[in-house]
Order: sequence, then C-alpha cells, then structure tokens
Amino acid sequence: MKKELLLCLLAVVVSLSVKAQRVYSTKIAQVKFISSAPTEDFDATNNQAESKLSDKGQVMFGLLIKGFVFENDLMQKHFNGDEYMQSDKFPKAEFKGAITNIATVNFAKDGAYPVMVIGDLTIRGISKKQSAAGLIIIEKGKVNTKSTFKIKIKDYGLKGSEIGTAIAENIEINVTAKYE
Amino acid sequence: MKKKLIIGVLLVGLLSIAGVYYFIFYRPTHHVRDIANEQAIKVTAKDIVKEFQTNESLANAKYLNKVAEITGEVLEAKKDQTGKPTVSLKSDDSFSNVFITLRGTDQLEVKSGSSITVKGVVTGFLSDVVINDGIVTK
Repeated sequence: MKKELLLCLLAVVVSLSVKAQRVYSTKIAQVKFISSAPTEDFDATNNQAESKLSDKGQVMFGLLIKGFVFENDLMQKHFNGDEYMQSDKFPKAEFKGAITNIATVNFAKDGAYPVMVIGDLTIRGISKKQSAAGLIIIEKGKVNTKSTFKIKIKDYGLKGSEIGTAIAENIEINVTAKYE
Repeated sequence: MKKKLIIGVLLVGLLSIAGVYYFIFYRPTHHVRDIANEQAIKVTAKDIVKEFQTNESLANAKYLNKVAEITGEVLEAKKDQTGKPTVSLKSDDSFSNVFITLRGTDQLEVKSGSSITVKGVVTGFLSDVVINDGIVTK
C-alpha cells in the first residue's frame, strides 16, 4: 500500500517536471537596425529591449521606439515623427513567435545551435509574418541568442519621402539577447 | 566712413554665413539633447508605475519623451550589453518596476534598498516603465 502511494507520488513528480518549461528572460536585449541606401548609411541601437525565450521554443521581444538612440537628434526626431515611426501613437514594437527546430537545441550542453524562428512582428500597429535565422548560444549554462534579418519598411506603413534614396527600402535588423 | 561700412557689411556677411552653417548644417547633425538642464516632472517610482498601469495612453501623453525625476528604492543595479549602468527602482507591484539606463560608464555605487533620485527621458512602458539617459541627482 505504502509502495503504491510512493509510486503514485513519483509519477506526479515526474509528469510535473516533464511539463515544466524553463523560461529565460532579459531586459537588456540589444536591437540594432542598419539602413544602407544609395545616398546615406545610418544605424540606431536600442539597448532596453525585453525578451523571453523558453526551452520549448516560445520567443518574444518587446521594445520601445523612443529607446532607439541615433548619432544625432535631428535623425532621431525624423525617425520618431509623423512621416516615419509615429512613436507618440505607436510607442512599441513587438515580436512573438516560435523556434521551429527547438528540439535540436541542447540547453544542457555548450554550443552554438542554428535555429529558425517564425512569428508575428508588429510595428506601427501593423502585424506581419516574419521569419528569421538565428543562433542559440549556450555557454556555461548561460543562454544567448543572435539573429539578423531584413524587413521591408513599406510593409509597416512607413511612407517617408526619403525611402529609397537616403533610407533603405529593406532595413537590416540585428538582435542580440543575453538571458538570465 | 566707407571703409567702416564695408567692414561692417563684411562682418554681417561672415556672421550670417557662420550662423547658417551652424544652424542648418552643424547643429542638426552634432547637437545631442542634454537633459541635465531640462525641467523635469517630479514623481516617485511607485506613482509613475501606477499611472502607466492604470491608463497607459494617458501616461504616455503625459510622460513620453519628457524628462522625469524619479525617486525610489533601488531593487538592483547592473550593466547593459554596452557596459552602461542600469538600475531598477521598486514599485508596489513586483511585476512592474522602473528600469533606468544611466548616462556614462560609471558603475553605480548603490546598495539595493537605498533610495535614489534619477533624472531621465521616459521612453515608455513594457513590463517596466523604461527610462533612458539617466543622471543620478540624489
């Protein structure tokens, strides 16, 4: 009788630990974008992005548009203004998605694991499907991720007159997150 | 007399060229906002978090891109990926605090639990109220 009870308890514990997912998070993910256009190159970086990643493959990034810092004020003003990001009206950008090959990542073993992520990217209130290739890097138990992908900015309703000349139509996004 | 006039005209001409150069070409690309002397909205960490939780769009209208001087209890002090110091100030809700990235590279010498005041630009609300370009004033 006692043995059965113990077995029962063991089964409950095992099923709980199988279900439990580990969630890694950070508030200092870095998101940088790079615009290479015919007449001008520029970039801006946000070092205050939030991100969560679970070992079951769920991934989320959130950031504030006003957190992008430019080399000069005028560019930053244009970027936040009516022709471009309208950050008073749309203060946030967000990505929610899933890693499609999370089974290939061994969170217990050091290494750089190539992954694919697919999800919804929301900028200026417009959501689009976005996929990206990236790396999950496990180093001494710490989990880091890196990804580079391109977005077509007209997809997100940006209609500034300088798109195509001083601003690239396709902007490169670099993401680096060091989780805790 | 004529000489003076010519010199005067030349001087005015030079000054306006310098002015045009400074305001049209130099300043827009070199000027960086300095919040040290800007008027700040004084608020506690607890209150600003409550305002964003209660009505985010109202709080956005009040604070976004404005300078706030926020007083609160230090939860933790760390560094971001570029080595800039960050500090979290406590609110009444442990899920949402005030997250501040400080200007400069000086390591913040504060103990968690001590009270500090930081002036910075409010960039918005994620799970925390986020502040950039912070300066510790007290």
